[in-house]
Amino acid sequence: MIEIKNLKKIYGNVTVVDIPQLSIAKGESVGLVGNNGAGKTTLFRMILDLILPESGEITSNGEIVAGHEHWKAYTASYLDEGFLIEYLTPEEYLYFIGGLHQQSRAQVDETLTALGDFFNGEILNRGKYIRDLSKGNQCKVGVASCLLQNPQLLMLDEPFANIDPSTQFRLKNMLKDANKSKGVTTIVSSHDLNHITDVCDRILLMEKGVIIKDIATSSSTLSELEDYFGVGQTVGATPVVKIDEEENH
Amino acid sequence: MISTFIRHELKAFWRSKNTGKSIAVRVVMIFLILYLFGCILLAGIGMDKILEIAFPNDDLVKSFCGIVLIYFLFDLFMRLQLQELPTLRVQPYLHLPIKRNTLVGYLAITAVFSMFNLWPFLLFLPFIFKIIAPDSGIIVALAFVVAIVGISVFNNYLALYLKRKSNLNGWVFLITAAVLILIVIADFWWHFYSLHNISYAFFGRLLTMPILAIIPALLGIVMYYFNFLYLKQNLYLETLTARKVKIYKSNTDIPFLSRFGTIGDLAANEIKLVFRNKRSRSSLIIGLFFMFYGLIFYTNKSLGQGWYLFAGMYMTGAFVVNYGQFMFGWQASHFDGILVSKITFSDFVKAKYLLFTTVSVISFVLTIPYVYFGWHVLLVHFVMCVWNIGVTTTIVLFFANRNFKRIDLSKSGTMNWEGVGASQLLLTLPLILTPYIIYTPFAVFKHPDIGLALLAATGFIAILTRNYWIKQLEADYYSKRYRIAEGFRNK
Repeated sequence: MIEIKNLKKIYGNVTVVDIPQLSIAKGESVGLVGNNGAGKTTLFRMILDLILPESGEITSNGEIVAGHEHWKAYTASYLDEGFLIEYLTPEEYLYFIGGLHQQSRAQVDETLTALGDFFNGEILNRGKYIRDLSKGNQCKVGVASCLLQNPQLLMLDEPFANIDPSTQFRLKNMLKDANKSKGVTTIVSSHDLNHITDVCDRILLMEKGVIIKDIATSSSTLSELEDYFGVGQTVGATPVVKIDEEENH
Repeated sequence: MISTFIRHELKAFWRSKNTGKSIAVRVVMIFLILYLFGCILLAGIGMDKILEIAFPNDDLVKSFCGIVLIYFLFDLFMRLQLQELPTLRVQPYLHLPIKRNTLVGYLAITAVFSMFNLWPFLLFLPFIFKIIAPDSGIIVALAFVVAIVGISVFNNYLALYLKRKSNLNGWVFLITAAVLILIVIADFWWHFYSLHNISYAFFGRLLTMPILAIIPALLGIVMYYFNFLYLKQNLYLETLTARKVKIYKSNTDIPFLSRFGTIGDLAANEIKLVFRNKRSRSSLIIGLFFMFYGLIFYTNKSLGQGWYLFAGMYMTGAFVVNYGQFMFGWQASHFDGILVSKITFSDFVKAKYLLFTTVSVISFVLTIPYVYFGWHVLLVHFVMCVWNIGVTTTIVLFFANRNFKRIDLSKSGTMNWEGVGASQLLLTLPLILTPYIIYTPFAVFKHPDIGLALLAATGFIAILTRNYWIKQLEADYYSKRYRIAEGFRNK
């Protein structure tokens, strides 16, 4: 699906993304993790042709992404609120997106009805413009617009960050369902290691623009990631024991 | 603490993206403000001459005393329209261990530093020291100054109070405006009373009893204190934010546009953009004001047909120029979304053409009453409308590809320099000059109608060859799109 070769992005003299080779096959579910500034969003933006890399190329379905538009027909993405038209109502926006994919209003309505649980009654017919929604609800609109497009490739940047726990679980199920039963290739980034290892079959760990780990998710993945992110904080028993001793004295 | 606030305020001003980074913009901005103040000062210095012409039968001081109050009525009305509320700037301090009185005091005091408070002094001080001081002595002159300071302060805080109230309830503004208009109508049309006489009754007495100046001074202090108390009781985000009370926002369809498919959808979105956001709405309203250009140009017999072109172009194309000069900055906040969705650039641009064409045609229809000044006027309007649809739109879109500045839709339009850059300043020149390049040679050799016909022909050719221009714009856009998107991401 996605092939990346010798990709480099440099801001000033800092290399923010440096990926010699990466391929993502059709139907894979990929999770992107890494601390702030690791280059996750920059990578997303380059895959979506929003910024131009200094060198290297990205192909989607065999076609170079930069300067081409065929990939837009089967790629749906939501990185931030900047993807939403803030002065429209959610309905207007979703009809607009559906219209771009030649869907009638009835078809859009059908998809939205299926999303009723996910929306939790907070999105449709509330008489608000998107700009007046909370960040979490804006995220719901963004995710819904992605699913509406029936994509082959779905890209979400930190979708779990602002939504409530119930919606997080629903979103996880929706992502799994899209990937497992519809064969959608998903690329999702998150800071929540539990969610990401739950949803994704393959985890890419980024540090300072470089993919330092590329692991197939297994039962040990979560603890492996926790070890990496818990740098210097040995969650061991020693300090606890010490406190216990002091209390005993 | 206050000095820290002021330091932060200065930093906010100089580091804000709205301050217009390029030197050209700053220079023009400073120049415009100085020019405005210069004009007012000139009017102030020449006040005695103006009053002599306006009220030739009255004593100079008497007519001066008569207009002061009328000015302040106008001043209040203008403040209600234009003065900015010093509001959300306190938000980051609300949760910190800072005394409420400090915060409120700071908010209330800084409200004095508004350009509007300079106006009355520029306007009235020259007269006071030129005419009143030599006539009635320095004590009386000082009394006048104190009275004017008092009323200015009173107006300042009254306007702010009313604006804060009207942010919570839209009716307050409407009622205030209605009351102000009624006060004026009751005087000038119905003659129930005379503001001129009321104003003289007070300021005339000031000449003999300077101590009366204490009344406006007290009024000012009371209004300040009232404002202070109101702010102190309402130092909450909901009342401070300039956000209007939420009303139910309904979905809108524009059936005329839906027949154009995706292009129509995009144009409909843009129309919603214009109507649902403050700044874009004001550019539309300014466009409507340009509709009155004809009254200036056509009633003045000394202006020839050359000026008609200008009037016609602005009346049918004011929106294209006013709104178009900031394109695509209006869509900056969701430009990434446009880039990744299934919209081709040619559809994107065609939607702009559709929008401009629709608005220009509507503007042309609105100018039809000018036929009162002769059929020729209407013909010029038609030609300039065709010219705008064909040529102006393409020039505007050419410059849109060179605009990398985002626009915050939620901010109001008055004195807002956000998004103004070199490309906006450059844009107007070719727009105004190009029709004259074609027209002037023929006008000079006494065949203006051939010039007009050529303008129309050029416009029509541009419309017929539009697909070619779209291709050119597209190629141009592809070489600049990353810069545009990056510029728009820069908040």
